[in-house]
Amino acid sequence: MDDPSQRLLRRLLRRIPAGNLKTTLEKWGRLTAAQWRTIDFTQTKSSIVQMLAFCAENEFTMKHITELEMMYVIDNPNKGMWYAFQLIDPEADSQSLELTQFKEQFKSHLCELVRNVSVKIKKHTDEAVWIRIAWGDSYSRPNHLKPTYIVHHLQTPYVFVTGLSPKQRPLVSQALVLSSRYHAIKAANLSGRNLTAIRDLLMKQYQQVFPTRFPSPLSERNQSVSNPQIEREHAGHKENRLQMASETFGDGMLPQLQSSVYKLETKFRDRANQTMTEREEPFKCVVKFASTNLLESLKLCVSSGIASTPVTPLLSSIPLKGRNYFVITDNGPAPSSQMPLSQN
Amino acid sequence: MGKRDVQICFRFGSGTPDMERHRSSGARTPLNSALVQRRSRSKSYRLSYRSCLGAASRLGLTPALTARRLNTSRRAPKSHNISEKVSVEQLALLLKKEWKLSYVTPLYRFRHTQMRGYSRQLSAFIAAEKHQGLAVDVEAAQGSFRASFSVIQGMTETDDDAETILIQIHSKSSFPGQDEPQRALWSGWLTCVYGNPEYLNSLPKDFTCLPLFCSSGSEVLTNAVKSWFQLTFDCCFGPLEISHTSLQWLVALWTNCHAECNIQHLKMIWSVPVVPPLQITYTVDGQDAWELWNSLRRDPQEEGEGGKDEEAGSNIDIMEVERFMQGLKGHFYRHFRLDLSAGSLKQVSTALGLAKCNGRMKISNSKYMIATLTLLTECALLKMPM
Repeated sequence: MDDPSQRLLRRLLRRIPAGNLKTTLEKWGRLTAAQWRTIDFTQTKSSIVQMLAFCAENEFTMKHITELEMMYVIDNPNKGMWYAFQLIDPEADSQSLELTQFKEQFKSHLCELVRNVSVKIKKHTDEAVWIRIAWGDSYSRPNHLKPTYIVHHLQTPYVFVTGLSPKQRPLVSQALVLSSRYHAIKAANLSGRNLTAIRDLLMKQYQQVFPTRFPSPLSERNQSVSNPQIEREHAGHKENRLQMASETFGDGMLPQLQSSVYKLETKFRDRANQTMTEREEPFKCVVKFASTNLLESLKLCVSSGIASTPVTPLLSSIPLKGRNYFVITDNGPAPSSQMPLSQN
Repeated sequence: MGKRDVQICFRFGSGTPDMERHRSSGARTPLNSALVQRRSRSKSYRLSYRSCLGAASRLGLTPALTARRLNTSRRAPKSHNISEKVSVEQLALLLKKEWKLSYVTPLYRFRHTQMRGYSRQLSAFIAAEKHQGLAVDVEAAQGSFRASFSVIQGMTETDDDAETILIQIHSKSSFPGQDEPQRALWSGWLTCVYGNPEYLNSLPKDFTCLPLFCSSGSEVLTNAVKSWFQLTFDCCFGPLEISHTSLQWLVALWTNCHAECNIQHLKMIWSVPVVPPLQITYTVDGQDAWELWNSLRRDPQEEGEGGKDEEAGSNIDIMEVERFMQGLKGHFYRHFRLDLSAGSLKQVSTALGLAKCNGRMKISNSKYMIATLTLLTECALLKMPM
């Protein structure tokens, strides 16, 4: 075993939580039955030492180690920041693209662009193609310690990327566009730590509530209150807010998004403030909403009345458009409630 | 002295004659009686800012209703070239570090002339604490600690303010390089900037009031320093949170500086009480924030920077601060239909500094630090126990 693969293996074994180590290695299935029996999984430190020895003994190469890493990352994708991209302008045959074809083409396109690059592609059970890229340049061998991961669902225009530097972005974009039979790719302005969440948000795979003409009838059982009229009116408002909140953000478990950022370059309007309203330049500010589950928090803001209904398009655009980065400008004399969301 | 006499006369007539008598006698014959009083009554020596002002206001010395609260009007921060008064090296120690804030009740028999003795005593105290295995367990400190007290000359704004005290704790075992200055393991300072003169004058002679205590470094050492102060100067410490109103004051005071010194941005963090908690970061461009602020000043035709010492231009009123916050919130509401008033302001920052509601602050620019410290001194005086 050469030095880099040993270093990668050591780092990887340290990254895998002790509880998961056994199952991950089992899945990998590269150890012999005899070796398997000797490893003491109750002792994290010694099991790592034993593993290192066995891997050297079996003469594993980088290929084997990256395989283990991919398996671990596929099972535990929520470790870094994922950025969504969208392929646009498909060619006629983009829908009939096969995995083998895509695999071959992506590799060859990328290798044409960069000399020293190591690409590994694996199909996951849920139809997603996982791509691992270790980057090098003309003078250095691929650095396996800082790989880029790309997840692409064939037959959909969405691509999710983590660990990609701005320098490598055009290379990946070009290889993806060419091999998936599209004409272009753009940032989808959506990012988050939870891969499944941003995927679900973009592909609308969460429980949605659609507006109905006849909202569910009010239950009128508890009439023993002091003033039923007022009570009923309040309940009506509350029901309405809940319905609005669910229609906007969905129902049940909402995709776990961490933040949403708005760059506002709109005019300051306030009837009481003549000076600012007459000012030509926009009022520049950046607003960031953050929570462990942003959609859940915003939904509660709406249903509790902290945010007024109807929900502003700025907030409802997060689930509606599957984006969490917006640049907002005034386009012409638009009324305040219909602020256009411009592309950036 | 005449003024003090007036106050004392009044106090005899006020509702708490017992306590006041002690205090007044303390003022006349400083040493002995204060000592006796300290032994006999455990609470009376901790003169309270609020009780003093409460009494004083009835006499008409300060506006009656507002005295117990934060000032509702304060001078606009002027660019102080503080580096002319305070040495640059000492200033550098105070800047760009996040400080945890506490209030301190007046120190009994504290002498600015005994810095060296205090350094020795505190070092010995920490060594003793460590020996007892009570507290200190800092990774870098296998050896013993060396505490050093110094006076930061020139931070005072009035004659009543006591000079600022800086305390640094270094590890003795580490070998300082020849060129590089040794970095302190822990540092802290006690200050008083524009302390309320009525209160400061009402203190008996043997008390030094440095109500604002800022510390940075291991909590264990902070506690050791606090207990040494408590034992030596018979004072007490308490956490100093920065209230919602004070944070709003800082928003306005800092924004007001933009005309002279670019604040770059005005960043406010709100927390909205939903589950899971929602955090909203609202960052406004510095110039735009200032223009909004300027448009909301009491008298728009009189520019803040133009009026040199005229009352209207250099004073900021709480109403203006509220209007400014309202303007910022209104702009936010217009876009998001979410009322920021439902949440609470947690943190404020600009290029001049940073303040958090949990009592942490950072000063990034020395020019306007006096305004910030004035506000914090006032908060500390208000927080002192009755």
